[in-house]
Amino acid sequence: MELVLKGFGEVVKTVTFRVRRYDPEKKEMPKYMEYKVPVQRGMTVLDGVLYIKEHLDPSLAARYSCRMGICGSCAMIINGKERLACQTQILELNKDLIKVDPLGNYDTVKDLVPDLNKLFKNHESVKPYIVREEAEPYGEYIQLPEEREKYALFTECIMCGACLSACPTMATDDLYLGPQALAQAYRYIADSRDAGFNERLNLLDSKHGVWRCHFAGACSEVCPKGVDPALAIQLLRGVLSKNVFIKYKQNPAKLGPERASIKEVL
Amino acid sequence: MAIENKKGWISWFNPIKYGFDRWLFAMHRFTGIVIGLYLMAHVFETSNILRGPLTWNNVMVFLDWPFGIHFGPYILSALLLVVVFHALNGLRLTIVENGLMLVRPYRPEYPYKPKSLAGWNFALKIVLGILMIVISVFGIVYIFTGVIL
Ligand code: SF4
Ligand code: FES
Repeated sequence: MELVLKGFGEVVKTVTFRVRRYDPEKKEMPKYMEYKVPVQRGMTVLDGVLYIKEHLDPSLAARYSCRMGICGSCAMIINGKERLACQTQILELNKDLIKVDPLGNYDTVKDLVPDLNKLFKNHESVKPYIVREEAEPYGEYIQLPEEREKYALFTECIMCGACLSACPTMATDDLYLGPQALAQAYRYIADSRDAGFNERLNLLDSKHGVWRCHFAGACSEVCPKGVDPALAIQLLRGVLSKNVFIKYKQNPAKLGPERASIKEVL
Repeated sequence: MAIENKKGWISWFNPIKYGFDRWLFAMHRFTGIVIGLYLMAHVFETSNILRGPLTWNNVMVFLDWPFGIHFGPYILSALLLVVVFHALNGLRLTIVENGLMLVRPYRPEYPYKPKSLAGWNFALKIVLGILMIVISVFGIVYIFTGVIL
């Protein structure tokens, strides 16, 4: 069967991409370069960047992988707002000039590739895993669906790093944990299986921890997955400020029946 | 290593494209800085009373009529707006930043509008906004005419 898509491959208009070029190895200041890109229907900003790479300037560097909003590699500042390049339709932007910058508040590896080390380090520092006192279990911890709803929203994060770039606190404080790490900290603290609140407390309740957030809401506004990290931070702060008066108690979930199959694997 | 692409403090005052709460943040920062500077100037201003009644009166007249223009009430009105905004928004932030009056965690749905900024938090913004307008009107009328409405 022959598949004919109406308007497929037809060039609708030509837009100008203004891309920030910067190579730390060359001792040059960052500069903007302009490229003319013919736009077909359904073309995303990432497609535009790849068009430039293929046809106009092969030295342009960008990071991407899945092209479908799953991997979180392609976050960039597009027309002044952090977005996933692969999820942003050029025609939907409805502009003739598209300004593409790498994420702010990070080092830049090259051109549109930010160095996300800071994000991953901060994420790791809040212990983004279930902390238990007992040894490795041979079964599941029992959790009710309602208990899962308390943190399910925050598991959606794909670690694109857009929120750290949008955050106004991050803009002046290098050591701030950032919305992503704080949201993940809350995700594990609110998890009924977790028992690591006290282990995380010192880091969260520090000068560069939760109290640095000023609820500007920019992180939630740009998050491509709707994780709403600002909500997590405020809820976490609620937990921490209640903890001053009444010690926060976690009731780690009980262990389900042991499973022979897990024992074999381990 | 210094962050080469850091946005810096200047970006505090660039809320464009990030939504209403980001505007409130920028204004809260700005009004906070203004109030801080004002307090310093205020201490300096009132310290003039140590130099005797004549200097004090001169200072008072100068502040009301700087360079021969009757500008004092405008400065006071602007200051009132700044203080009222900072106070009321600060009240809201004290509430929501302690995790109160916010939504429960929900399931994200396209187009992913953050609900933490909506709901009770938004209602609070509206109520306090109206309150701000009312207080400002009363205050400014008082500053200009000396009449308490
Ligand atoms: S919270 Fe959202 S914006 Fe931040 S890293 Fe996760 S997916 Fe990206
Ligand atoms: S390329 Fe994977 S999220 Fe855009």
